[in-house]
Amino acid sequence: MIIKVDHLTKYYKIHQKEPGFMGSLRSLVNRKYYDARAVEDVSFTIDEGELVGFIGPNGAGKTTTLKCLSGLLYPTSGNVEVLGFNPFERKHDFLKKISLVMGQKNQLWWDLPAMDSFLLNKEIYEVSDSSYKKTIGELIDLLDVKDIVNVQVRKLSLGQRMKCELIAALIHEPKVLFLDEPTIGLDVVMQQNLRDFVKEYNKKFDATIILTSHYMRDVEQLCKRIIMIDHGKVLYDGNLSEIVKKYATHKELRIVFQKPIEKRELARLGKITEMNGTRVVISVERTKSNHVAAEILKKYDIEDFNIEEAGIEEIIRDVFSNKNK
Amino acid sequence: MNKYFLVGKNLVSEIFTYRLNFVMWRVRMILSLLTIYFLWSALIPEGRELFGYTNSSILTYIILVHLTYSFVVASRSYAVGEDIIQGNLSNFLLKPFNYFTYLFSKDVGDKFMNISLTVIELSILFVILKPPIFIQTDLLLLLLTALSILSGIGIMFFIYVLLGSIGFWSQEVWAPRFIFFTIILNFFTGFLFPLDILPKPIFDFIQFLPFSYLLYFPVKIYLGQMAIDQILMGTSISLFWVVVFHLLLKKVWTKGLQIYGAYGR
Repeated sequence: MIIKVDHLTKYYKIHQKEPGFMGSLRSLVNRKYYDARAVEDVSFTIDEGELVGFIGPNGAGKTTTLKCLSGLLYPTSGNVEVLGFNPFERKHDFLKKISLVMGQKNQLWWDLPAMDSFLLNKEIYEVSDSSYKKTIGELIDLLDVKDIVNVQVRKLSLGQRMKCELIAALIHEPKVLFLDEPTIGLDVVMQQNLRDFVKEYNKKFDATIILTSHYMRDVEQLCKRIIMIDHGKVLYDGNLSEIVKKYATHKELRIVFQKPIEKRELARLGKITEMNGTRVVISVERTKSNHVAAEILKKYDIEDFNIEEAGIEEIIRDVFSNKNK
Repeated sequence: MNKYFLVGKNLVSEIFTYRLNFVMWRVRMILSLLTIYFLWSALIPEGRELFGYTNSSILTYIILVHLTYSFVVASRSYAVGEDIIQGNLSNFLLKPFNYFTYLFSKDVGDKFMNISLTVIELSILFVILKPPIFIQTDLLLLLLTALSILSGIGIMFFIYVLLGSIGFWSQEVWAPRFIFFTIILNFFTGFLFPLDILPKPIFDFIQFLPFSYLLYFPVKIYLGQMAIDQILMGTSISLFWVVVFHLLLKKVWTKGLQIYGAYGR
């Protein structure tokens, strides 16, 4: 077992200020604090080589958990163990084996070319010359950044910078990798490149990876197992494929009619989620879907017809919105 | 290459990237030197004496303080506050890397640049203004000067980092720093005037604070204007502060890291 999280809880002390100028004055004398519960009683374990997707809406506690796992935050209560270490102690032996990459912020020296930051990281992680040369060569090839590593980081585009960030984080070939929104702000092609890269890295080094993302595609393509978290609590922990079985209550019928049909007429079959001329999407309960499909095929002239599982994105949206009620 | 050495080197490259910034900073330092220099040469014209200083002794003092400033005060460690508040500190905490050694390595890079420039500037100034020069030849005094400068560097470093550590508890790290720079640095370190011109009770009091050991004390040792027992006493107080600040910093960071929110990332 590589990662063990046991009843992890993290509260932030937040200073509450009433709005407006008077509120500012009042808060000068009388400060009110409250505990923001970022993560509450979260437990899970992750084995070596697993690639786990961590999903949840904004402010669900994903990043906080990752920060606890990488030793940045001091847990309010509960235990965290990564590679047999207590992360918060930040032993150098531990730090040499992990990496945390955040899509939102950079570790590269802003005013110097990325190559200088790589070299610095090489020294920091005490990577030998030969293995540095090998790794950096591979990474540069894999991410196709040969032309930009010698350009001042501030002059790079977001996507180029992200690639360099990733290289900087991987020079020491970490065994455990935390990726927080690695695809944020990247174009579709770059997103795909990055995904392929993460997959490859996972396989090649048998690295354990936790990935958070807003883009369900990332998770869908990369992770077998997902942990869903909201309001600091774990909602679901298990295989991605099972979540579909468990939560997908509806199927989608995608139909193209030969002639436009009245909306009212179709509405009694199921929930119309999309209607555009002769193109219609109807959401129907799973158990009834075959029955409804047969009825439609019998009754109308059809040009094209498809039955699909609801998209993973919709299922997850459903799960989160139901739990919030 | 050592990782910390590389940090210092990177800082020097950064300074070269922002040449103009650095040059303007030096211009400001020269202007401030010239202002103090001409003020004092007006107050104590040649052949006169005031507060026990002659024209040449006060000008020597002012120039040496200027040089000592680039050894002791030049630093980048005030950035600790911003690092904490903006969450950049996380970058360092995530790596097998000592943050304080990192800061100090940056300081060494910064000091190196400042000292080099100060020496060049002073050389030019000597050619133009021909001020009095005092060369200390007593090896023991030179050694004690070096020791006091090292101790001053330590005190300064801890003050900067402690001021920045306020960032763990409050966003307002700028105000305490401002007070330190404008009031304490100007009036309690001997930057604007030698502290021994102050009334004796005030001077005696200041001796127990850490600040006079930043500039005044090393320069006075160098000039040979201090009795050996005064030097020993001062060195002890100065080292005492280094130890106290060190322990305080340890405590503050143990507490601070527990509430550190790693925000902004």
